[in-house]
Amino acid sequence: MSTHRETTFLSTGKFVDPTPAPPETAHPEVGTTSAPLKSAAFFIGAYCKDYNEDFMLCKDENNDPAHCLQEGRKVTRCAMDLISKLRENCEKEWEAHYKCLEKHNQEYYACRKPERTFNECVFSKLKLEKVIPGAAATPIHLRENTIYN
Amino acid sequence: MPVPFEALIPLGLITVFFGASGVLFQKLKTSVNEGQPPRYGLDRWDRVMMERDYRLTGTQRGQTHQSAAPAGFSTSSAWNLETEHL
Repeated sequence: MSTHRETTFLSTGKFVDPTPAPPETAHPEVGTTSAPLKSAAFFIGAYCKDYNEDFMLCKDENNDPAHCLQEGRKVTRCAMDLISKLRENCEKEWEAHYKCLEKHNQEYYACRKPERTFNECVFSKLKLEKVIPGAAATPIHLRENTIYN
Repeated sequence: MPVPFEALIPLGLITVFFGASGVLFQKLKTSVNEGQPPRYGLDRWDRVMMERDYRLTGTQRGQTHQSAAPAGFSTSSAWNLETEHL
């Protein structure tokens, strides 16, 4: 199945689609790359919880790619909405956090300080909190000392 | 007895060569990755996300935080060009 294989043509450089799909069929997509998405991941989860759960339950019924398109578009719209809100309110802190993530192989543990400022900004302006489901008494992102506890 | 400084010359040479090759290698890796350290331990998720980043920004390690993707993004995937492996 081609959906479980990675592309092999991307390494050869530029390519042109010989039969491009008409632009009317394209719906707006999220324009954020991986590091900002990883940085804002928990806030997307908190903000778009209903739409995400709707989509996952719908996919659970039927895993056909053509099945849950409407729920998928709702998920995309919600994520785009939150991203524009983050750009409006906390853009500098977000940039600092994801640039730090890019320098450290996108590992959360290496960037706790910018993460703290970003979380505080989002909490004060957008009232969203980062919650790790199933975490211990103090979640890892709130611990001062992660080595000696 | 004076210090045998001639013995330190090969030591210094070896140190300089190790150091220079290390620095050059680090500069090479950093320049390929646009001023950042290289990514390591990549799994399929990371490779797919990095391919998506390349389609969004045009460079290997570029990052943007726009809300909407550019116009041709949803149809720019390379899957149409892949041949079927039967």
